[in-house]
Amino acid sequence: MSSLLQKIPLIGKEIPWLNDVRQKGAEAFAKTGVPTAKTEAWKYTKPRELCGDDFVIKQSKKDSDWKADLPFEAYQIRFENGYFCPQESTLPQGVEVVPLIEAMLFHPEVWKHLCKMADINKYPFAALNQSYLNEGVYIRIEKNVELKKPLVIISHTTPGEENLFFNLHNLIVLEENAAATLVEYHTWSGEVKSRYFANLVNEIYLSAGAHLEHIKVQAEAFKANHVALSVVAANKDSEYKSFCLQRGANIGRNETLVKLQESGACAEVNAAYIMNGWATLDTTTDIEHLSAQTTSHQLVKGVIGGDAKGVFQGKIHIAPNAVKTEGNQLHKALLLSNTAEVDVKPELEIFADDVKCSHGAASGELDEDQLFYMRSRGIGLEEARQILIDAYLEDVIGKIKHEGIRNWVEKEAK
Amino acid sequence: MSKTPLLEIEDLCARVEDKEIIKGFNLTINEGEVHALMGPNGAGKSTLSNVLCGKKGYEVTGGSVRFKGKDLLSMSPEDRAREGIFLSMQYPVEIPGVPTSTFLKHAVNAIRKYHNLPELDTMEFLKMVREEGRKLGVDSEMIKRPLNVGFSGGEKKRLEILQMSILKPSFAIMDEVDSGLDIDALKVVSEGVNALRDGKFSMLVITHYQRLLNYVVPDFVHVYADGHIVKSGNKDLALELEEKGYAEFVKEK
Repeated sequence: MSSLLQKIPLIGKEIPWLNDVRQKGAEAFAKTGVPTAKTEAWKYTKPRELCGDDFVIKQSKKDSDWKADLPFEAYQIRFENGYFCPQESTLPQGVEVVPLIEAMLFHPEVWKHLCKMADINKYPFAALNQSYLNEGVYIRIEKNVELKKPLVIISHTTPGEENLFFNLHNLIVLEENAAATLVEYHTWSGEVKSRYFANLVNEIYLSAGAHLEHIKVQAEAFKANHVALSVVAANKDSEYKSFCLQRGANIGRNETLVKLQESGACAEVNAAYIMNGWATLDTTTDIEHLSAQTTSHQLVKGVIGGDAKGVFQGKIHIAPNAVKTEGNQLHKALLLSNTAEVDVKPELEIFADDVKCSHGAASGELDEDQLFYMRSRGIGLEEARQILIDAYLEDVIGKIKHEGIRNWVEKEAK
Repeated sequence: MSKTPLLEIEDLCARVEDKEIIKGFNLTINEGEVHALMGPNGAGKSTLSNVLCGKKGYEVTGGSVRFKGKDLLSMSPEDRAREGIFLSMQYPVEIPGVPTSTFLKHAVNAIRKYHNLPELDTMEFLKMVREEGRKLGVDSEMIKRPLNVGFSGGEKKRLEILQMSILKPSFAIMDEVDSGLDIDALKVVSEGVNALRDGKFSMLVITHYQRLLNYVVPDFVHVYADGHIVKSGNKDLALELEEKGYAEFVKEK
């Protein structure tokens, strides 16, 4: 069996019901195992490579004096090598941020949603994550509270001598009419001496009328593996608006499952990925329209160079009762070399009449005439290429509402 | 008084794919001179300007080109521009997503950097663009728009001249600058071009029609047909061509 499933002493192991939750995760993962190339959901992203090394799970936290330098004001939550680091930041009224282990033990209301939103038999890495359920954060935003500053969850890794494996599990609950901006920033520093594997799950519950803008930047070390699943339940008239930039890791997968479960719920799931070398970056989405009058929009753009591979799997599912729904999806890739590759699998599953649905995919190269025009004005080839790449990503990054975050993402994308 | 040669083209031959387009082209342009190159469609006028500026897809099969004494053909397109060559294109390229001002600032600073000059900051840059833009009727609204996207023919050409006036080349190739211009726009563009004539700045004006040459008066006129110059003269040659057409030169072939 894979080195990913190990027996380690976790906090609360003596509590039978908590042990039981973890045990269920371990069993589900043991049953499915690491996905293979034959697993439909993983056929383009070589999952074997994710697990080829002997990973080590660190059992003690090490503090680091690393500081995130974000160019916008925010409340920060930080994890170092997969461990929660308490931060000095005063939260406004109506917002609760609790380490996951504490929430599991002392906030029984989390169990309404925690480990309930995704079917672990379908998501092997979420099952694996559940077997280690311990680190992460529980965020709750009270009814009618609108958070002025964004909340930032930073996961910072310092690759050491050993191949580190860590799991984070966040639960984010927005109560009725609450509104917030959430940023996830996955980064690293130091020397790339080893691989590491970050396995992440977010469960996001949006009550009626809640609005969440969720921005993620995946900037892991080039040897890292990053597998993330965000599951979102969107209730009546709530809005989930997300953007994910992937620009790091050797294998990076960002998977989003949105359940538009009550009428008026809408989702915008946008993403960009930029890659070189031998990386594989995978953007997988599954938008389930489970109720009438729900809408979803997806725009995903990739820039692929070197021998890298971009993967986009986008599914829109419309349930039989989900009439008067609208679901759109567009994927575009810019190939910078002859050896760059992109695999695209759009899927529409429509079981209702009277719906508006569309999907599209396109790939192309940098325009030679545009490059020549700029060079003929004295702009060097590399600079000209960068100008065109920035312009290519401008519309998708431009969908980020928060100006400070948008400017930051623009810089991160260079 | 001895003249300083700026551009020396000797026996230039070039092809596109397997087709010979330029067949033994000779021309020397000295500092301060304006040369007009006239010829029928398909003579290879645009091929010549693309070869001089280093566009991909054109293969030089013979001859040499020297610019300020340096071998031009071995330089990258950007280095040719940095050395002082400017190509005003017949069809300026549209670049969605890139604001005109961003593009201009990159170009100005790339050329300044090449000449070891400090880069302009945004304020200095905008001041310069405003001043030069005023003369050409290019306002600050226009330079906020994506480069050439949705610009009218006249706006595109005015922007080409604006670029020329802020990049300050020593030599410009004006490829069909008059195409798509009405008479008013033609005047504005010509005035812009003439303002650059300071006794040292040189130009090669490529055109079908004599009309432009009423405004931008050339020192020399050359007839270009079948890949090389078949006749040279002064500005009166342009008038003669206007009257008789190119038929006699094309027939020579």
